[in-house]
Amino acid sequence: MSRILSAGEANRRDFLSGAALLALALGLPAGALAATPAIPAASPRQHQMLAAASQIAIPRTDTPGAADAGVPDFVVLALDHGLEDARRPVTNAPKGMPLRADGSIDHLRWLELALDTAAGGDFLALAAPRQAEALARIDTAAFAAPRDAPPSPWLTIKALIYIGYYTSEAGGSQELRYELVPGQFEPDAPLHPGDRAFSSDWTAIDFG
Amino acid sequence: MTHDFDAIVVGSGITGGWAAKELTEAGLKVLMIERGRQIEHQSGYTREMAAPWELPFRGRGDQSNYDRAFPVQRLNRHFNEWTQDHFVNDRENPYSTADGTQFDWFRSYQLGGRSLTWGRQCYRWSDYDFGANKRDGHGTDWPIRYADLAPWYDHVERFIGVSGAAEGLAQLPDGQFQPPMAMNAVEVALRKHIGTHWPERVVTIGRTANLTEAKPDEGRANCQYRSICARGCSFGAYFSTQSSTLPAAMKTGRLTVLTDKVVERIDYDPVTRRVTGVRWVDTKTKQAGQATARMVFLNAGAFNSVHVLLNSASEAMPNGLANSSGVLGTHIMDHPNTVAAAATMPGFEQHTMVGNRPTGVVIPRFRNMDKLDGIGHTRGFSYQGGALQSNWTRGQRQPGLGADNKNAIRSPGEWRMVLVVFADSMPRASNRLTLDRRRTDANGLPLLNIAFAHGKEEHAALAEAHALAVEMLESAGGKVLFGSDQPGHGGTAIHEMGGARMGHDPATSVLNKWSQAHDVRNLFVTDGAQMSSSASQNPSLTYMALTARAVDHAVALARQNSL
Repeated sequence: MSRILSAGEANRRDFLSGAALLALALGLPAGALAATPAIPAASPRQHQMLAAASQIAIPRTDTPGAADAGVPDFVVLALDHGLEDARRPVTNAPKGMPLRADGSIDHLRWLELALDTAAGGDFLALAAPRQAEALARIDTAAFAAPRDAPPSPWLTIKALIYIGYYTSEAGGSQELRYELVPGQFEPDAPLHPGDRAFSSDWTAIDFG
Repeated sequence: MTHDFDAIVVGSGITGGWAAKELTEAGLKVLMIERGRQIEHQSGYTREMAAPWELPFRGRGDQSNYDRAFPVQRLNRHFNEWTQDHFVNDRENPYSTADGTQFDWFRSYQLGGRSLTWGRQCYRWSDYDFGANKRDGHGTDWPIRYADLAPWYDHVERFIGVSGAAEGLAQLPDGQFQPPMAMNAVEVALRKHIGTHWPERVVTIGRTANLTEAKPDEGRANCQYRSICARGCSFGAYFSTQSSTLPAAMKTGRLTVLTDKVVERIDYDPVTRRVTGVRWVDTKTKQAGQATARMVFLNAGAFNSVHVLLNSASEAMPNGLANSSGVLGTHIMDHPNTVAAAATMPGFEQHTMVGNRPTGVVIPRFRNMDKLDGIGHTRGFSYQGGALQSNWTRGQRQPGLGADNKNAIRSPGEWRMVLVVFADSMPRASNRLTLDRRRTDANGLPLLNIAFAHGKEEHAALAEAHALAVEMLESAGGKVLFGSDQPGHGGTAIHEMGGARMGHDPATSVLNKWSQAHDVRNLFVTDGAQMSSSASQNPSLTYMALTARAVDHAVALARQNSL
């Protein structure tokens, strides 16, 4: 039988994980909500370079950085499963673009090549500030490219780093705020500099 | 003749739930048949409370699988890793389209149907809508007017709980509202600006079937401002079959529910000229089954109700059940819609909102009311939308790396106002459903074939709506980012309706003014299939009111032994 849930039972000020809240709501034991699929293989060097790029894009501040939050594993999984259209076959690939067997871009191989090229040698041998400069050149060029040019694979990788970070527990609930059950709506609240946005503002994330 | 049940209700969505509630509360013994699986209220909403980091694909879902199994459903804005189980697998549930037709048919085959995934917007229709066909000659005249439905709107709104603001508008009659949800700072300013410059245009809060006041007697809490309704709501704060009508019907002790049974056909007795019951196929075992009843309510969803009628052809009714007119399947509609304009709204940098409101705002129709002032079209359009602040996703689309960039993205960003237009879809004979004569589905039933295209009136309405949306937002200080005057594919409003239209004349319509088949006295079709025109408002509230009204009539006839 259904029973009524009140805001008091699921008080937003009592921190509860989603699974615990689900268990509370449903009277069920908290358990795994879904099996985690196997993370496909990336070469150790590619994984290392992706981790470096992730942490440069979103570094550790007073909250964890992207690599700290496990973003590289998510990006590898996401690329494999076609998030952000990563597995769409490309027809206008520039010469030398590494492709998967299905004709989609091999983003990890591309990143490895692009970082080494931007570094003028072994990217991983560079000091951290030089690594950041190399990635910044790739980032600037990707957004400066003409609209009719094939988009840089960096745009897809960057998008996935952002998704991976801000949907991680560190990014979603420490860097930003996460409230599954706000309980009320304040239509016009003051916004102060430094106030953290809500990663649980689903409409803004869909449309923003 | 003895019957297994007093009534059979085919479908358990928004109108099926209403039919079951009203019929059982009137004392009838009812069988409700649902083609999809059972979903229990609360315990059945398996990912409702999951945080993004608890899902393998962080809420985005496995896109490779979506490409394979959900190529249509994935286009729905509410389809994601949390909600994917509330939509059909397209590969397992195929349909066909006519040459040149692009129709995205969003479906939810499960107990509760699309009541679990609907947009919850509840708008009364007015006599501008019920009088539209008669006024401009498209389609056939509705046999009812607003006064016929007003008490049933009252009845439905009181039960489901609709929050909204009374505005006294002839084109969008007020209802029995719970307290309205609040507008944010940008929306309040826009309401004031537009009201000053264009007094006939009103920005008002969406009227939505999310409770602002709990209904404890019905086990429903007030809205918690999560705005994740399509995951299922264990608070019961939004109206769904599970939260509302099903518990009411179960409480009577007179409802039997069967799931995983797709109704293949309705049996018709040419001697009595009555339907006698339904036959189904168990979708898991493929076993056939049947039950008899004194009356049948068809609530399978507009297109699937038409499918059942077409597939129930018999020697006596070779063109389909209740189709002596030949119009069954024709005049289907779906609101042409598009983002008319989206603009950044500077000047509100010190403002934010806390909590997620599960509705937007609406600008009701203001064209073609007492005078025909639309450009190239004779009916209405209205806007739905709202103001929101950009979030972390903006970081994906702009250059920048490092700590400063991370800190800049931490706070809410600029305000944006979005206006989506919905316009009347004209009833056209060429937009129609037929049975695919070549292909069948896994249950052995013929596929439904959809032929659909928007016409020049729809394009004209969207062109005007786009121009006016840009004008309004720019006038209010917005900087327009983009906007369109091109409708999306048919089906994208998820307001597909028509196919078994109501009308005065049995020669040109399928149903009479009681949603009752002209040809078959004990057959009622009370979902979207019955619609004779589309209006520009969201239709579900009207379907519910028509259902309750039809049940009242059917029960009265049954008591007089004149069904």
